Amino acid sequence: MKKKKNIDNFFNEGLKNLEATPSPHVWENIQAELKKGKKERKVIPLWIRLGGVAALIALLLTVGNSLYNSSNTIVAPSITNETTKQPENQLQENKSDIEKQANDSQVASENKTLQNDATQDSDASDDNASKNKSETKSSNKGFINASEKASNTVIAASNNSETNASNKSKEDQKKNWLEKNAPKNEANEGIASSKNSSEKASSDKNRKDANEDLINKDKTIFDSKEEGIVVNENSEKINSEKNLVKTEEEITQESKNKKSIFDAIAETNEDAVSEKKKKEKPEHRWNVAPNVAPVYYSSFGNGSSIDPSFADNPQKGDVNMSYGVQVSYALNKRLSVRTGVNTVDLSYSTTGIEVGTGPVAVALSSVDYGGRNIVVTAADKGSFANAAPSNGFGDITPKSTQGDARLIQNINYYEVPVELKYAVIDSRFGVNVIGGLSTLFLGNNEISVKADNFTDVLGEANNLSSVSFSTNVGLGLDYKLSKKFTFNIEPMFKYQLNPYTDSSVNFKPYYLGVYSGLSFKF
Amino acid sequence: MTLDELILKCKKQDATAQGELYKQYNRILFAICLRYSPNYTEAEDNLQDAFITIFKKVEQYNGKGSFEGWMKRVTVNTVLQKYRKQRTFEIVDEGQIEDEVVVEIESEDIPLDFLLKIVQELPDRYRLVFSMYVMDGYQHKEIAEMLGISDGTSKSNLARARMILKNKIEEYNATNYNT
Repeated sequence: MKKKKNIDNFFNEGLKNLEATPSPHVWENIQAELKKGKKERKVIPLWIRLGGVAALIALLLTVGNSLYNSSNTIVAPSITNETTKQPENQLQENKSDIEKQANDSQVASENKTLQNDATQDSDASDDNASKNKSETKSSNKGFINASEKASNTVIAASNNSETNASNKSKEDQKKNWLEKNAPKNEANEGIASSKNSSEKASSDKNRKDANEDLINKDKTIFDSKEEGIVVNENSEKINSEKNLVKTEEEITQESKNKKSIFDAIAETNEDAVSEKKKKEKPEHRWNVAPNVAPVYYSSFGNGSSIDPSFADNPQKGDVNMSYGVQVSYALNKRLSVRTGVNTVDLSYSTTGIEVGTGPVAVALSSVDYGGRNIVVTAADKGSFANAAPSNGFGDITPKSTQGDARLIQNINYYEVPVELKYAVIDSRFGVNVIGGLSTLFLGNNEISVKADNFTDVLGEANNLSSVSFSTNVGLGLDYKLSKKFTFNIEPMFKYQLNPYTDSSVNFKPYYLGVYSGLSFKF
Repeated sequence: MTLDELILKCKKQDATAQGELYKQYNRILFAICLRYSPNYTEAEDNLQDAFITIFKKVEQYNGKGSFEGWMKRVTVNTVLQKYRKQRTFEIVDEGQIEDEVVVEIESEDIPLDFLLKIVQELPDRYRLVFSMYVMDGYQHKEIAEMLGISDGTSKSNLARARMILKNKIEEYNATNYNT
């Protein structure tokens, strides 16, 4: 017998009233999930939140203090209040009614239940509730009569065919699903709420009207029902709490007796994580390394830091020493962060000069002579002889010197580097790349003149920054002598960022050092 | 316990009431999950998600409209959330869209589990659109909005779903009755 049918109707008739029974583990999982949700909320310890708040306040206060004047600092705590409230609010949103009741908002919840009662009363009068009931009843009947058999067969069939076939894969899927579960639920809540909000908006109006009508009624209801409701509520609460306790006890007992899926997953996860950690975690994290390095100082710019007139003179960096100690902390097997302190001596000399003595007026502008009236000064070779008396050089008495006179600048810094070291090759012989920043605190410095038979200190340079920075890059080669001792040799290039207060000086110094030392792990 | 009482207690997160609600509605909602999910296992997972959402969001049910309807919508939304992100590649050809797709059925004895199976086997989006439009009475505009697609795509998906289902029914008829 052939029959033509619209496909939509065909499926609609067949599947619309379908009912099927899921396996009992679904409900078990739901219970576990609901319980887990409650537990998680309780687990968040107060000190984490308080600690977070304290840290945030401290941070904001320090930042705020340094950025703004004292009048603005009031703003900082108020911001923190808001931000700390937010997570609490979110928590509150998620909180179940039971917790709400546990809080002091009992009055509020009682009001709510009264309201609910009132709306339900109004619904009842609108015949909505009764309609719903009759609908569900009739549909229940319908399902009993029409589709019980059919659906049962469906379920039986699908149960047999699919559950048996896919039992294994089901377990796997379940595991996967469980891991995804938590974030998903939250997202779902989002949808549900967004849909409901529109519903609410439309229904709120109706409700308001109804409520207004009900206000008068409410009063009487309140009076008459108050006692009953309170009694009911209390008894309900006690019941529900008892049940909760019971079920919780049951569940904990069950979970004691046998491993739940959650525990199993948690265990495997923990195992995996700890294994991973073992792999990643270096045995000894701390490392201390005294080091010493010859450092060569030079400049990219053509200018002179002492006087612009020496810009075209031959200038030469000298080799000095740097020594210090570094402490490094291994973040993982390959990456470590390190700091320390080094003292660095740098110097360079300018030649092609002649030296003379004269009044302070002819002194080098970048030298602090310390209040002397007659000073030693230096100028380009030949300028004294050619100089007319009027241009100032006339007052200078040239000093006859043997050999080439040199103007020498010596600078001493205390260097505090903060550097990252990444191991490219990590075996007995290691290759690392190093990058970072140094803070340079100016120590002693002096400008002096030197000839074969004459040495004199002119004074300190007055254009050096007391605190400056450098960017550091380098290559670290090491050879592991034993488990704890490693020999390092590290060619480093350090470019100074703001060594001179006078930015017009076209003198861009850098220094190269080959740091070597023995490092000790602990 | 009346339904109203049950809802009230569920709003208080009463475990017994939650159990009772599950007992009363799991079969209806599971049917929805079966129609919207690609297989039985995922349908169970989705049912679980849906009930957790229902229990968490029951406070938002404001008494307007039937509670069953509200729960069904939550369930559909839960499932949509999971599958709507998975894109299917299709060419939208509006010309092919027919409202009436007629299938020939030899006797009426096509088992329900076969119908369910071929719906589940549809590509995700086709399955969602088909179930929403044909069985749950959503309009194309609503479907488009909920799935983040255009009206045209929704219509086209529906048409393609119908064609796939029709072909499968005809195949079934051919193998079972034309001996």
